[in-house]
Amino acid sequence: MSSTQDATIEAQYGARVEALAAALRANDEARFLGVLDDMLHTRKPGLILELRDLTSNLHVALDRFRLDARLADFAQKDIPDARQRLAHVVEMTAAAAHRTLDLVEQSGPPAGRIAEAAQALVGPWKRFRERKIELREFHQLLKRMDGFLPAARADGELIRRNLGEVLLTQGYQDLTGQIIRGVIELVRELESALAELTRLSGGEPPSRADESTGSAQAHGPVVPGVTQGEVAAGQQDVDALLSGLGV
Amino acid sequence: MSKDLRFLVVDDFSTMRRIIKNLLHDLGYQNVAEADDGKTALPMLQSGDIDFLITDWNMPGMQGLDLLKAVRADAKLAKLPVLMLTAEAKREQIIEAAQAGVNGYVIKPFTAETLKEKLDKILGAPAK
Repeated sequence: MSSTQDATIEAQYGARVEALAAALRANDEARFLGVLDDMLHTRKPGLILELRDLTSNLHVALDRFRLDARLADFAQKDIPDARQRLAHVVEMTAAAAHRTLDLVEQSGPPAGRIAEAAQALVGPWKRFRERKIELREFHQLLKRMDGFLPAARADGELIRRNLGEVLLTQGYQDLTGQIIRGVIELVRELESALAELTRLSGGEPPSRADESTGSAQAHGPVVPGVTQGEVAAGQQDVDALLSGLGV
Repeated sequence: MSKDLRFLVVDDFSTMRRIIKNLLHDLGYQNVAEADDGKTALPMLQSGDIDFLITDWNMPGMQGLDLLKAVRADAKLAKLPVLMLTAEAKREQIIEAAQAGVNGYVIKPFTAETLKEKLDKILGAPAK
């Protein structure tokens, strides 16, 4: 080493090395790092900035990777599942509508029969009340009444039963509603993932995507082909399971 | 069994609450209150004049299972009969509800007969 070089090194770094040593002895971290940064800047002015860029890019890449994995999940699993869920909703609503229509159609004739039979009794009954009925018609009236009363009771019961069924069939709204809410939640997650992707593509600092905690407890109605795990096939299964548990 | 029993029906879907209420009316129970989740239901239960709780499981706010646990944890409500009426049909969930102290468990869709049968069974036997 030449003395010129020594002088240059001394001039460039001497004071800093001493300041560095002093900061180290004093355990002054801020000062130490400050001097170190300063030295590195002198040695290679762009290095820190490059490192900073590199780190930031790495962050973006990692975020992007995490996001890509989530989006892949959406594409491979969640979206097909959602399609299946919605298809199941369409089936359930169609089945409920048909069931309701069937019951309404089945209730029309008995309701009509009661009305017609009652209508046919109005005239003779009026004449009977006004004591204007002839003996032959009176006997006919009695006969009609004998037929009408049990028939009206049976038809009335049939209609009441059908109405009870119509009532229960409306439960589809709850079941499909739960499934649709699940899909709405998925769309919300997808929306936030896409928004994050847009931010990352624009090179802006990513915000944390909503990590949906979801409800670990409730799964909603069983959707064939989507719901996993052991599921009760019907009320009988539930009853058997509960009686095994002493309930 | 007394037809004056006061029921509380908890479900976030108003259609389902109407259905259950109608079925209870058909069975002769006229006294039916409603709530749309556990958070609303709990104070109603704690106010004291509910004799029978019918609750859904999957609800925003406070879920049915948490409501059941809260009921069992409350000394005044610990013996309240609770029927869970839900679409949740996983084996592990039914076991979880049983362990939390449910008195009956009916899965949706259900029939009027099933509801009646479970009510009769629970009301016939002393509540756990």
